[in-house]
Amino acid sequence: MIHVFSFKDFNYIYDVGSGSLHECDGETAAYLKAEYEDGGDISAFPPELVKRAEEEIKPLKEAGLLFADEVKARPVKSRFVKALCLHICHDCNLRCKYCFADEGAYHSRREFMSEQTAKKAVDFLIANSGDRKILEIDFFGGEPLMCLQTIKKVVAYAKDKAAKNGKKFLFTTTTNALLLNEEARDFFNAEMENVVISLDGRKEVHDAVRKTANGKGSFDLVIDNAKQFVRSRGEKNYYVRGTFTAKNTDFSEDVMFLAENGFDSISMEPVVTDIAELAITNGHLAAICDEYERLAERYLEKYKKGEGFNFFHFNIDLEGGPCLAKRVSACGAGNEYFSVTPNGDIYPCHQFAGDEKFLMGNVYDGNIDGRIRSQFVENSLFTRKGCENCFAKYICSGGCSANNYHFEGDVNKPYTLTCAMMKKRVECAMHILARKKAGI
Amino acid sequence: MIKTIAAPREKKVEGCGECRSTCQSACKTSCTVGNQSCERITREQSPEKNK
Repeated sequence: MIHVFSFKDFNYIYDVGSGSLHECDGETAAYLKAEYEDGGDISAFPPELVKRAEEEIKPLKEAGLLFADEVKARPVKSRFVKALCLHICHDCNLRCKYCFADEGAYHSRREFMSEQTAKKAVDFLIANSGDRKILEIDFFGGEPLMCLQTIKKVVAYAKDKAAKNGKKFLFTTTTNALLLNEEARDFFNAEMENVVISLDGRKEVHDAVRKTANGKGSFDLVIDNAKQFVRSRGEKNYYVRGTFTAKNTDFSEDVMFLAENGFDSISMEPVVTDIAELAITNGHLAAICDEYERLAERYLEKYKKGEGFNFFHFNIDLEGGPCLAKRVSACGAGNEYFSVTPNGDIYPCHQFAGDEKFLMGNVYDGNIDGRIRSQFVENSLFTRKGCENCFAKYICSGGCSANNYHFEGDVNKPYTLTCAMMKKRVECAMHILARKKAGI
Repeated sequence: MIKTIAAPREKKVEGCGECRSTCQSACKTSCTVGNQSCERITREQSPEKNK
């Protein structure tokens, strides 16, 4: 299967079976699309064009770079746990309108995870990790920095237990940066493999949704903390992670704002909400896809000027990247990755937290509901409905189980709105890769 | 004229299972497997990550 697409004046052919990307002229692209992708009428194409295109296809086909057969890899079905999202705090010092976590409370009471429960979660992870050496814990909330002292104790405990069990922990924290002071900064820089800072971009965009408990915008309270932190971070990983909504479908402005304010590792995600004024609908799709193209062009302009930055969704590695087994496996939620709420309850991931239908156990008894886990273990690209003929399937793996469930009612039914955005992002990423390789 | 831009260096089918959890990345809502790197290769290239 091939996918032929254009980006402005550039034409590309992506071969799904081999994962190869090719560039071609417009006439060849039009012919290949008509003949091999759309199955349409090719009688209008001059015979000499068809002959030339077929002659060029032949050696690529023989080399396994075009029309390559798809290899049916087996999904990863490990029974070992590799990562936990620790909801260290079901409370937040912001009241963001679009928060999927009910402004930190997860549709329940506001509470903090006790040190004892957090340590039990660490024990649970180690006990269920089999022979896997590298384990991951993400401190999540609510706002984790409301519980910095607990996080410090948990990190120390986990490192000690890891050393005794031949493991190594990689820690991540997701924070709104409101309490990202010198103490937190120093601790994060010493201990966190990755830090995700929530910041939506321009002040007016950020303040419209990310408000304090008294209803004021939080931009001025967090921007300096975020900048100072990033400056202090050195070579360690971080992402400034924004959310765009129906109110800012011109989100390339926000990405550029962040890039111009010294953040060089940026992600900008579509909102997941049912609040009508913020929710992204099919009616927004055309504008959003245009905006991704605009972002790709602006990204390349910055790159050309030697001011390049890292945009999460424009990263694509067609020469290396993950193996096919990983590409056909879903994200690992409910199988290798779980979230743990403040009372120790275990859910498939943070986006299922609080939904009793997906309650899988508790770290205090250490058991996981085998019936629910089996549903997630069986999830893969091959169980996703409608992914078979999608060119992006080995890149997105069938999408997010939680989004699928919340919007389509079935973890295996891809959420069509996010599919469209994903495909556009992949095309932009491929265009960027091609231009970088061509020296722009 | 068809010009190859990028192709996989090797056909990696079977997984070692050492890759990082997809959801520990930047997004938390629209995870993409294809933009991850192979953890085994990353660690081979950066031995300090094994320590």
